[in-house]
Amino acid sequence: MLNVSFAKQSLPRSGVLVVAVCQGKALSPKCKELDKATGGALKRAIDASGFDGDKSKVCTLLAPPGLDVSRVVLIGLGEDKKVDDLAAEDAGGHAVAALSGAGEETASIWFDLGRNVPLGEDAAAAEFAFGAQLRSYRFDKYRTREEKKDRPTLRKVAVMVEQPARARNLHMPLGKVAEGIFLTRDLVSEPPNILFPESFVKECRKLARLGIRIEVLDKRQMKKLGMGTLLGVAQGSARDPYMVVMQWNGAKAATAKPVAFVGKGVTFDTGGISIKPAGGMEDMKWDMGGAGVVTGLMKALAGRKAKANVVGVIGLVENMVSGTAQRPGDVVTSMSGQTVEVINTDAEGRLVLADALWYTQGRFKPQFMVNLATLTGAVIVALGEENAGLFSNNDELATRLEAAGRATGDHVWRLPLAKAYDDMLKSDIADMKNIGGRSAGSITAAQFLQRFVNEVPWAHLDIAGVTWSKKAKPTVPRGGTGFGVRLLDRLVRDHYEK
Amino acid sequence: MRVTFSRLTRQARQQAAGTLVLCLPEGGGPMLPSAHALDSASSGRLTRALAAAQFGGKAGQVCLLEAPEPFAARRLMVVGLGPAKHLTPLELQRAGGRVARRFGGARHGDLRLGALVIAADWVPGTSYGVADLAAHLAYGVRLGAYRYTRHMVRAERPQVPATLKVLVASPAPARRAYRRLASVAEGVALARDLVNEPSNVKTPLWLAGKAKALDAVGVDVRVLRRARLEKLGMGGLLAVASGSAQEPAVAVMRWRGRTAPQGGPDVAFVGKGVTFDTGGISIKPAAGMERMRDDMAGAAAVIGAMHALAARRAKVDAIGIVGLAENMVSGTACRPGDVIRTMSGRTVEVIDTDAEGRLVLADLLHFARVRFRPRRLIDLGTLTGAVVTALGAEHAGMFTRDDGLAESLSRAGAGVGELLWRLPLGPGYQAALKSDIADLRQCAPAGLAPDACHAARFLAHFAGALDDDRDEAVAWAHLDIAGVADRAEPADLGPKGATGFGVRLLDRFVADCCEG
Repeated sequence: MLNVSFAKQSLPRSGVLVVAVCQGKALSPKCKELDKATGGALKRAIDASGFDGDKSKVCTLLAPPGLDVSRVVLIGLGEDKKVDDLAAEDAGGHAVAALSGAGEETASIWFDLGRNVPLGEDAAAAEFAFGAQLRSYRFDKYRTREEKKDRPTLRKVAVMVEQPARARNLHMPLGKVAEGIFLTRDLVSEPPNILFPESFVKECRKLARLGIRIEVLDKRQMKKLGMGTLLGVAQGSARDPYMVVMQWNGAKAATAKPVAFVGKGVTFDTGGISIKPAGGMEDMKWDMGGAGVVTGLMKALAGRKAKANVVGVIGLVENMVSGTAQRPGDVVTSMSGQTVEVINTDAEGRLVLADALWYTQGRFKPQFMVNLATLTGAVIVALGEENAGLFSNNDELATRLEAAGRATGDHVWRLPLAKAYDDMLKSDIADMKNIGGRSAGSITAAQFLQRFVNEVPWAHLDIAGVTWSKKAKPTVPRGGTGFGVRLLDRLVRDHYEK
Repeated sequence: MRVTFSRLTRQARQQAAGTLVLCLPEGGGPMLPSAHALDSASSGRLTRALAAAQFGGKAGQVCLLEAPEPFAARRLMVVGLGPAKHLTPLELQRAGGRVARRFGGARHGDLRLGALVIAADWVPGTSYGVADLAAHLAYGVRLGAYRYTRHMVRAERPQVPATLKVLVASPAPARRAYRRLASVAEGVALARDLVNEPSNVKTPLWLAGKAKALDAVGVDVRVLRRARLEKLGMGGLLAVASGSAQEPAVAVMRWRGRTAPQGGPDVAFVGKGVTFDTGGISIKPAAGMERMRDDMAGAAAVIGAMHALAARRAKVDAIGIVGLAENMVSGTACRPGDVIRTMSGRTVEVIDTDAEGRLVLADLLHFARVRFRPRRLIDLGTLTGAVVTALGAEHAGMFTRDDGLAESLSRAGAGVGELLWRLPLGPGYQAALKSDIADLRQCAPAGLAPDACHAARFLAHFAGALDDDRDEAVAWAHLDIAGVADRAEPADLGPKGATGFGVRLLDRFVADCCEG
């Protein structure tokens, strides 16, 4: 990960000098200083590029006369009154993107915030560094012949502020969240011949180092528990399924009721006998996105020593086509005792979650359960890549998730649950079918899950549209987004830590 | 169906012919007077019948009892209302609707069954008076008894009650309450008729004529024909119409139930009226294409709502504008890749000729906003398949930047059982609308895309609802009714087919928010 340090402001003698400035016509004080040192070159560069400090705007002055640094880069923060956490993060992301092909190894960051910025300089610095780290992520372990010039060179960012110690303290937990997000992105990006249920379990075990208790249920144990819906999905694969239970006990009272996160971990989804079309099937390696988020979230929470008791449960299976695969028409019995007629073997995520949710609420009696899953294509048609679908049986939990989404940029949009949708799951021969029909596909999937939730406050996040991104955003490079880690970390931080 | 109200007396009840309806709430307690009268007169037969049928008064329960002697009726129908304290006007309407539905479903060899009589007792524990109770039951029967039989020449027509007589302690106030509701029921029936009408009859000009007919209830109607639309520069609407041999039209309806204090109308309703949608050059698959005659359901809702408002003399200045065109495949049809100039001056690159509704609405929204300056602007259209994938048939999609308007519309919808669910409209959906060669692209190319959100975002450009280019004077909402315009299965308040969705919603919205 990008090395971030905090220091008192000084004029660097090498590398790049980045100045984060607010929108405005006049030169900010620090820019004035630099302009003077460069004999007016900076002002001329600003005028020539039309830079005005608006969000995402960048102005570069190469080999500035009178300075030792190789270049000065101005990054816009946007209107000063609106500079918040997310604006500072975005600026950090834009800075990294702007320097990605520049061949620089070190960057020093100055801030010129002015008095109208609601965010303090320390916080702005911490968030800027966080944003820079998030954007610097790259999954390149399988590039063995990449030329040096094609690799990003930026290694170190020195953030310079009045009070470096305070900024460092503010950044500490954010750095841990970034580590969690990176783990999620790694898991999501790994190819499915490398990351399968067993190897995923190994990745989880590494978290024991942080003080997380790891338990692994194997096929035999799950059979004993009656997890028939999960095992039905796994039966077409040569690879054994697992369920991993991760516990972080950070609350002062060890007995405090935990909060629980449950993730769908289909390490590859062929669709099974109801096989998917070939085009784009490679994307199905990230059908374990929900489990990836839960795992990354546990790392983030333990890393920053969150004062909460948290349980993470993930169901790991591979959905394959084979002579032992589950068939459309099969009836399976879930751990809850409810029977499911499998109409479409490609609606498998909900079968995995059904047992995982039932197990989690029964064993842990949590304050709430939030599950995440790349569950339906329908949610992409409903909401696209801008919002994850949120379904909940509890208004308070839903409102809190919406607020956490706005605060972190992991946006969620609530969709309805209602009896009329639930009725679409009626089966002629079992308690329910595993799909509804063509319409309201995400909602009927959520209704299915709700049948495995008792009174406990529960929310389901359908993250099929937001887990993988074809276009980069300021703090999210192309590929695995890690969507959900920040959202849920924020949820815990704002409401469940004492 | 003729509906009359008369005084509920022992004699009237006892001598009612045909089917006599009694209502019972859930949850024990003494029987309501009419039921009690029959029960004691028949030495407890009703009690035994209800017990045998396991009738507990739950909403949705209906118990039929043939020959309820000593009453003269041929058949008794007992309808459950659910718990009295949860009784709402909508629940009463649904109970009425079930009566109509069961009436049609029952055997009807004896002509005397053609008469329907409801004995409306007051229900203890409700906050409604008996007059309201009776009126809403009758309204529900009326909505539920709707059938579309215009083209059934030799086919056996479904049975609906020819007359409904409501016996109630206070017939005059009940009649008054019903009159207002009946105006709305007429509007709903009109909208359903229009949607059900086949498209060889329902040309754009035919539909414009139906709008014009509202002058009979006092609506001021102008129909703009092709030459006028060309002069106005409605390039979006005209492009959609260009493949058809049928001339397009726009009908502008105004009901001035008052002079709005701010000058402009209180509200403008805009409806998509594609009288048949083949998809154009981006043609639809053949299977199910016959349903595309409903692609004018937005326009039908607007026409129906205008009728309802005028017929009940609503104290509102309301405008209804419908854009009527047929989307056909031909040598003159609009092509994917065409760039058209809309009335607002914005140019639009056509990607998919089957995303035509937004082109029609774009011109209408601009026209409505600039020409009339309404305070509120609400459009309805069967716009996207994506909204069906998202919300199915239970909710229409609602898009607006205005939280207050969203809240008002949602509440109005919940009150009448036409549910709305809000979907996002944020700037994140803008990128998909970027064209390489014009101001806007009409939609994203085929693939898994949130097309309902894109369509709404597209319309926002023309409704003055963009983030940085916002017309503060008008609050706008877009309702995507593609999933709710038709129903595949009969419901309490209507048969399968056209629902008339939107008429009651808009009428209620006006009553709640616009009538001064």
